[in-house]
Amino acid sequence: MTVAKEKTKKSVQGKAKKPIGNPTVVLREEFDDWAILFNPDTADAVGTNPVGVAVWKLMDGRRTVNEIVAEIKDQFAEVPDAAAKDVLAFIKDLSQRGFVGYELKG
Amino acid sequence: MQVMRTPRGVDIEITSRCNLRCRYCYYFGNPAVEYRDLPTTEWLRFFDELGRCAVMDVTLQGGEPFIRKDLPQLIEGIISNHMRFSILSNGTLIDDAIASFLADTNRCDSVQVSVDGSGPAIHDACRGKGSFEGAIKGIRTLQRHEVPVAVRVTIHRHNVHDLEAIARLLLDDLRLAEFSTNAAGYLGACRQNANEVMLTTKDRQEAMETLLRLTERYNGRISAQAGPLAEGEIWCKMEEACMKGALPFPHGGSLTACGCHSSKINVRADGVITPCCMLPHMELGRINHASLKDVWQQHPDLHRLRQRHTIPLTAFAFCEDCTYIPYCTGNCPGLAYTITGKVDHPSPDACLRRFLEEGGKLPITGERLEGIKVGRAAKRP
Repeated sequence: MTVAKEKTKKSVQGKAKKPIGNPTVVLREEFDDWAILFNPDTADAVGTNPVGVAVWKLMDGRRTVNEIVAEIKDQFAEVPDAAAKDVLAFIKDLSQRGFVGYELKG
Repeated sequence: MQVMRTPRGVDIEITSRCNLRCRYCYYFGNPAVEYRDLPTTEWLRFFDELGRCAVMDVTLQGGEPFIRKDLPQLIEGIISNHMRFSILSNGTLIDDAIASFLADTNRCDSVQVSVDGSGPAIHDACRGKGSFEGAIKGIRTLQRHEVPVAVRVTIHRHNVHDLEAIARLLLDDLRLAEFSTNAAGYLGACRQNANEVMLTTKDRQEAMETLLRLTERYNGRISAQAGPLAEGEIWCKMEEACMKGALPFPHGGSLTACGCHSSKINVRADGVITPCCMLPHMELGRINHASLKDVWQQHPDLHRLRQRHTIPLTAFAFCEDCTYIPYCTGNCPGLAYTITGKVDHPSPDACLRRFLEEGGKLPITGERLEGIKVGRAAKRP
């Protein structure tokens, strides 16, 4: 398989996964609709904007990334085309930091 | 000022009991406080509320937290509500069992142990016979179990000449990464023993000089949020700014010193909520009776405290004709209250002009101050 096809395959697989928020992580929402995601096990914290908060709440292990992006487009106005890529990158970052896992098949 | 939806952290006086009676303790001897403990169930119920409020961390203090036999159960309650914790302690009751438990939680940010001397003669002078040995044993036990250890040195008249040896003990012998310092303040038991323990102007000057020198030698491993080291840095900057006729400091000129009430709140051992452990008389409600979120967002006393930063220092007769006003923040409202009877007042104890008028001299100015770590999250004694 070529490198380009491998990247595309991984991208498609990434968007087909069903992410789950780590249940230990705390979501602290503030009055301005921004929030902190705090992992008490690692003391790591991530600040996020209202879209990030919405993504976090949708990561229940039942939705693929594509489905999450679709719901974000419903919830927010003027969502750019790059949203899918941005959401995937956000989820990937959270996953690497232990904030998010993926539902296991079977 | 935009306030958080709920406090990010909560300081909890988990017990009113202590196995020591330190002569400068800020906690005991306050007529406004009812010294009694709550049962386990009350605290566990409150921790559930903290979990619902998305509080991130609690600091357990007192009194001496390790005196509570149910401490592991209380900590389990904190952990199950997704929080981290720190503990302030005299160190004397820490054994392998509790240290192992703390390590296994993986949620302990630190246990801060108080050490006030390089040996028992000086440490025990204010804290009681055997307390130095107990504190060092506690520190070593924590280290053995890889529990993060912090140390606070409270500077008073008996140890002001011992600071070099204390630094050697903590940083070279015990190999701590760092320690923090403070000074005995006119609060609690210290008020009855003030003449014996509080620093004179000359002591304060000596402490500033010694600590600034030690900070340079130990490359920033000594920090302070209050006390002679913090004063040395801040007052020298104020003096330089004044001499140069510099523009006011960003937070200068008003009662801006305290920002705790924007992110934290305190609970006394009897369950009464107060803004801070230095303002135990300001009762905002009682846990498990009042909603913490409602107290935090709506209590008028807390709102008033958050508006303190709008009060200019020029409003006070105490500050009349003071050339340092543009650079001064008025310091701790708790100390201001205990000395003047008013929360909305600059603290006379932290006044540069008064220090100079009493014969104090500032040690050094200039580039040597730049590396000092001041204002880090050092804990209260």
